[in-house]
Amino acid sequence: MTEESDTAPRGANILLVEDEVNIALALKFLMERMGHVVTHIDDGAAALAQVEALAPDLVLLDVTLPGASGYEICQYIRGCRALDRARVLVLTARGADIERRKALALGADGFMSKPFEMAELQARVAELLASPREV
Amino acid sequence: MLAHWNLRLRVFLFFALLGLASLVLIGGGLWLGWSRAVPRPDPGAFVLGGAAGGFAVLGLITWIWRLFDENLARPMQALAAQLRVLAHAEDAKPLDANQAQYLGDLAPAAHAIAERLSATRDDLALAVERETTRLAEEKERLETLLADVNAGILLCSGDHKVVFYNSVARNLLQDSNAPRLNQPVTGCLREGPVLHAYERLTQEGAAHSETQFLCSTPDGTAMFTATMRLVPQGNARGGGYALTLRDVTADIGLHAARETLLADMIEDMRRKAANLDTLSRLRAAGDDPIEQALVQETRALAQAVDCFGARYNETADVWWPRAEIAARDLMDSLRARLRSEGVTFSASHQPLSVVCDGFMVVSLLAQVALRLRDGGEIALAIGPGETAEEALVTLDWTGAPVAMAELERWLAEPLDLGQADLTGRFVLARHGTDIWPEALPDGRARLCLPLPRVEETGDHDLRGAVYDFSLFEKSRVAPLADMALDDLSYVVFDTETTGLLPSQGDEIVQIAALRVVGGKLLLAERLDMLVDPGRNIPEASTKVHGVTQAMVQGAPRIDQAGRDLHDFARGAVLVAHNAPFDMAFFHKHADEIGREFDNPVLDTVLLSAVLFGITEDHTLDALCTRLGVVIPEADRHTAMGDTLATGTVFVKMIEMLKGQGYATFGAVHDEMKKQMRLYKR
Repeated sequence: MTEESDTAPRGANILLVEDEVNIALALKFLMERMGHVVTHIDDGAAALAQVEALAPDLVLLDVTLPGASGYEICQYIRGCRALDRARVLVLTARGADIERRKALALGADGFMSKPFEMAELQARVAELLASPREV
Repeated sequence: MLAHWNLRLRVFLFFALLGLASLVLIGGGLWLGWSRAVPRPDPGAFVLGGAAGGFAVLGLITWIWRLFDENLARPMQALAAQLRVLAHAEDAKPLDANQAQYLGDLAPAAHAIAERLSATRDDLALAVERETTRLAEEKERLETLLADVNAGILLCSGDHKVVFYNSVARNLLQDSNAPRLNQPVTGCLREGPVLHAYERLTQEGAAHSETQFLCSTPDGTAMFTATMRLVPQGNARGGGYALTLRDVTADIGLHAARETLLADMIEDMRRKAANLDTLSRLRAAGDDPIEQALVQETRALAQAVDCFGARYNETADVWWPRAEIAARDLMDSLRARLRSEGVTFSASHQPLSVVCDGFMVVSLLAQVALRLRDGGEIALAIGPGETAEEALVTLDWTGAPVAMAELERWLAEPLDLGQADLTGRFVLARHGTDIWPEALPDGRARLCLPLPRVEETGDHDLRGAVYDFSLFEKSRVAPLADMALDDLSYVVFDTETTGLLPSQGDEIVQIAALRVVGGKLLLAERLDMLVDPGRNIPEASTKVHGVTQAMVQGAPRIDQAGRDLHDFARGAVLVAHNAPFDMAFFHKHADEIGREFDNPVLDTVLLSAVLFGITEDHTLDALCTRLGVVIPEADRHTAMGDTLATGTVFVKMIEMLKGQGYATFGAVHDEMKKQMRLYKR
């Protein structure tokens, strides 16, 4: 298990939208270990319905989801004024360049393809949380 | 006016005038004599004398006129009439030389012309008959070939009427889809893809004369990959075309199901493997060797699945027909599609081509554009994408970006291609791409669609069929020396080298070769390769032929290059300009090449001496000038450029050798050997 930096932001409100149970378990564990509060939703439609109310600081978003795709959720978040400051980090298994471009075009702040090193994920999360999003 | 009068009339008038003048002169003379006589005599005697003289002169003139008319004027008129008849009638009687016996050489000359005209007519008739027979035989052979081609072939006129179809086409298009002569081809194939392809090929400035696309029967029961090729009509476009059809109905069903299964399986396995790998990285393996092994195997599994997925992506749908389509053509096709729906758009494009199924992509863009029409005018642009291999199609409009859910609904609807499962999402998957919305400043929005981009390919002319049906009649069993020059195959070749001394280490750096069959230089059958000489290339030689050290990195060495040339030249006479020089390099490396270059050889330097005399200039440049062969300066001193020059010159030389009586290889070779002293000078 890697050691987190003491200067990394802590206590952020993270929404994890991931339908793979084991991955969700691991990511939730990791984020909570970093000192953040994690809400896990495993369905895209449910995430669309709840994201505004949850007002997360960061959304860890899988692309392939039941109910609504990660792209749809990302576009919704970017179109919702109340969520202007929420960062979106898209996580996907495939990593094809076209998926990266599509995610970034829809307003994602970052894109990572699995498998990724936990240290890399932690660093990206810390980086996104540390820099306020320009609205 | 006089020139238009009948010849005999003019002659008669001439003699009549002569007679009248004679009478006047005689009368005048007698009157003068009488008027001067002193004393004045009785005029009666003068009148009597005058009358007698006058009648005598008239009689003489009349007689001469009769002779002239009988033996000159009338025969000349008759000869002229006969010549006119010979000029315009095919089986006129021959000239009667006897009736013009007093016309000197005129009659024999006219007779010679008439005979020559008759002979020319006979030759022409024979030539026409020969060519007609040859064309009929070629037509029969082509029909035999077409009957055996394992693809449906339709030939259509410029107004899309069927003018030919083979038996395979008849079997592919059955019942209500059956092709019928002089009926629209759109009766057997859905008109959209066919008309779209034809429109693209016949647009002014279209770069290609061939395209591939997917089409179906009007009732959607059969699906084909089609190749449309324009049938040339001189320099004009807009003529007929040939359609080659391959039935992919079963393939599409089979492939679609299999592709979907494979894609789903790979996607699922990739996700699971990625998750497994991600989890394995969650914790360090520590010192436990079992745990370390587990982590290692997990990562190896994930990598293997990822590689498998990448290989699948590379090879998926390679059989799906795609063509290079100019951006302008795509724009024009879309404009034509949307015009009927009342949708207009502003267009801009860069001069580039994309690789896609044009009809499918246009159908997809049309479907999307129709749904955007409420957003005001659409601006469509095709330009370079993020990389050199990508073009980006964008549709801009005023309004909010399309919601992803709605876009996916659009993409799930069938396109008008006659099959329910051919949706926009299917088209995107087949092209390995995606479409997504973006927000633009000033309340505008955009849809982006990347497509593969390609550089224009050249050498389209080399795709034509190559044939010489006279090869059916060629004799192949005679000894080489007795073979007619036209019955032999030749390989004209040239090499570029590091220097002029093969015996002192110089080597070949480039080889080019072309075949000559039936007196024709076959540009489609060529060998053109760089050769790694295995040594440095002096700058001085690079200045001549342009081949640098960098260019030959990775090129075949002389052993492989020599084998390639040997295979290319199998059964042919080798032809080169200064052949001993080029052949020396191959003989030097005979052991490495492992093949013996025992082909007969003709040398165009020596042939030039045979034709033009030993004292003339026999350089390739001089020969080209002498025979009117023009090769662009940029191509000179490249192996292919010099091969082209030598080949063109050689084809002309064959005709000249035949004209000088050297009709067989043996005769040419013997005469060529006599000029060998040229190399000793």
